[in-house]
Amino acid sequence: MDVLNLLLQGVSVSIIPSNLLSCTTGVLIGTLVGVLPGIDTVSAIALLLPFSYGMDSTAALIMFAGIYYGSKFGGSTTSILINVPGEAASVVTCLDGYPMGQKGRAGAALAISAIGSFIAGTIGLIGLTLLAPPLAQAALAFGPPEYFSLALVGLILLSKLTGTSTLKSALMAVIGIMLSTIGLDSLSGISRFTFGIDELDRGFDLSILAMGLFGIGEILTAMTHVDAKPNIPSVRFRDLYPTKEEWQRSITPMFRGGIVGFLVGLLPGPAATISSFISYGLEKRYSKHPEEFGHGAIEGVAGPEAANNSAISATMIPLLSLGLPFCGATAILLSGFMIHGITPGPSLITERPELFWGLIASMYIGNVLLLVINLPLIGVFVQLLKTPLNILMPLVAVVTLTGAYSINNSMLDLIWVTFFGILGFLLQRVGFEPSPLIIGLVLGPELERGLTQGLIICNGNIWTFITRPIAATILSLGAIVILYNFFTWFTKFNNKRKELDTNRY
Amino acid sequence: MENKAVTETKKYPDKPITLIVPFGVGGGMDLVARLLEKTAPAQLGQPLVILNKPGGTGAIGWNEVVGATPDGYTLGITGIEVLLQPLYGPTKFHYPTALEPLVQISESPMVMAILAEQPWENLDDFIAYAKQHQGKIKFGHSGIGGIGHVAGESFSKATKLNLEQVPFQSAAEAMTNLLGGHIQVAFLTPALANEFVKSGMVRILGVAGEHRLSNPDFANTPTFKEQGLDVVGSSWFGIAAPKGLPIEVKNKLADGFKAMINDPEFQKNIEQLGLQVTYLDPKESAEKWLTDSQRLTRTVQETGIVKKIKEQKK
Repeated sequence: MDVLNLLLQGVSVSIIPSNLLSCTTGVLIGTLVGVLPGIDTVSAIALLLPFSYGMDSTAALIMFAGIYYGSKFGGSTTSILINVPGEAASVVTCLDGYPMGQKGRAGAALAISAIGSFIAGTIGLIGLTLLAPPLAQAALAFGPPEYFSLALVGLILLSKLTGTSTLKSALMAVIGIMLSTIGLDSLSGISRFTFGIDELDRGFDLSILAMGLFGIGEILTAMTHVDAKPNIPSVRFRDLYPTKEEWQRSITPMFRGGIVGFLVGLLPGPAATISSFISYGLEKRYSKHPEEFGHGAIEGVAGPEAANNSAISATMIPLLSLGLPFCGATAILLSGFMIHGITPGPSLITERPELFWGLIASMYIGNVLLLVINLPLIGVFVQLLKTPLNILMPLVAVVTLTGAYSINNSMLDLIWVTFFGILGFLLQRVGFEPSPLIIGLVLGPELERGLTQGLIICNGNIWTFITRPIAATILSLGAIVILYNFFTWFTKFNNKRKELDTNRY
Repeated sequence: MENKAVTETKKYPDKPITLIVPFGVGGGMDLVARLLEKTAPAQLGQPLVILNKPGGTGAIGWNEVVGATPDGYTLGITGIEVLLQPLYGPTKFHYPTALEPLVQISESPMVMAILAEQPWENLDDFIAYAKQHQGKIKFGHSGIGGIGHVAGESFSKATKLNLEQVPFQSAAEAMTNLLGGHIQVAFLTPALANEFVKSGMVRILGVAGEHRLSNPDFANTPTFKEQGLDVVGSSWFGIAAPKGLPIEVKNKLADGFKAMINDPEFQKNIEQLGLQVTYLDPKESAEKWLTDSQRLTRTVQETGIVKKIKEQKK
């Protein structure tokens, strides 16, 4: 009960009015950052750093953390309403959230995503409270060969998330990996496939691609249905919230997503994004209605939105107990901490317990606040869909393009958003799904880095990978899945042939 | 015409000054820029507007600084990459000559970190072990051609150990892999190692600077020079303008930045980021750019880094 005592002390720190106020401010800003596409957590915190100098350090940290986890809470809003992901981690929510909105269930999707975020965020926090130091140590056991194995198996399992054709999905995933090689190679410092254009060195930003393929692509699709009636979802109060059936279908995915997200969040890389894809894949596999996925399956909203929120709590573990940021957003949090004279790391829990536990307690409070803020907003957001398409779509285009420009202050990015928008529109028309491309783009660099670094560490011998227990386990899991799929395909094929044979005689 | 120019410069600055940060929001350089932002209105008379132009290891942002009118309204924050970039291949501009340094803000020498649980108590133990176990020791750093890599390779050359290098995306990633035991050595900034040195998880075998670090946690850590090895590699941050700044503007900026850097609160904030304030005026900065450039040119050639990069470019 030691932990409980410490946590209670933390609560007493976090409910001091000034800390409570900064927690509220943080989650409010976070919600805004999440809702607006293009404004990411990193730049929001960086822009606010100078304003925090005057604040007490605990209050400032509580606020920064609030922005961080708050932004993942609101990220699904624009995914569901207008098919533009507000955050990279909510790309996958477009797949089923937007179709739900089109069917007049936007309110339910938003509510489920808010409640799922809350439940999973709390699961993640419990993990953070109880297991932070040992888990941080465990995460260190993952070296480059392990990441390579994870990325490889991830690509195999995730590339066929949507759509019906394995070939088409695989093709898109490969194109995604190819796109990910463009730009300055982070390891060798060499520009690849940039044709001497300096700006291409930056490579393709995930958000830019997602905004184009999903957001602009959807605008173009909407334009082709000129006489489509604007969607007027009913405004009855009870329609804003999930039905009993939707609830029952969402509750398991929420918990499953929460646990998956937490585990993925412990590892370096864009954990929140990857965890949401993994959760989506899992839900599709375990669902009783896999055919509904991509057409508004509520599990496809509940799982991923839960996963990306518990991933956030998990990313705080290496940050707080080792002082090592595993992703961009925790890197800026670390800077925020250090500017206030606090160095997270092994000694933080013992040297500054009031701060450590105060921060964690504030995250519990922040999660409740987020739920309280977000639920009433659903009614407001859903009204947005009553806007006639000929007014809404140009507005979406403006918001998307502004967001895209603000990421790197670059005109070239606007060209890319437009290009990928047209590409996304054309792909949809011919039956290709853009999401495997996104997966290829996210996992491609992890795969390549893991392989390059792993080979150097293993003296150039790739078979050494399978002598490392963790890498071997992951790789054999992947092999089993491939064999299983092959086996089922083969038996199906065989049965069909037998059937044909019996029919013939 | 001439009179007009004089009156114009006298009024300088009469509008906000843009400070281009050639890296993304939240990086080390960006944070330093944002710390300067705070005191700018008082010391320069106008606010600094920070504009992030990331990409190409700084090239995109610095190209913009070089191409801007030298009127003192467009400045750029600089780092060791300004000197390193042109050594590895053609860049759009030769930054060391196309930019004019105004000040150096901070400097931090690379340190050589190992896990404290390793049996090597000092550099001699390490070298003896590595000699006997060729191919067992791998060092990590934050990217090929970066200053951590340069320091690592010059150590490897000075000791004739032929250590193999593992590039990572960031120094934090190299540190993570060091802690996980996937690599045996890491060359990185003291800021990153500090907390682990304090908690006894990591030991520092050498500092790649001219002097020991002022930070008390590193007071007992000798430099490589003290240990008879010529291994030097420091990263630094500074401010530069496009070449051809009117002298009044240059003086005004140099004085303003000097005051900003000497501001006790700025110094406190910089130290909290784990950086060491090392102020140099425009003249000293220019001299340092020259000597550093010469030394780095020699080092990257002798250690084979240039050759390696050129080979990969083919």
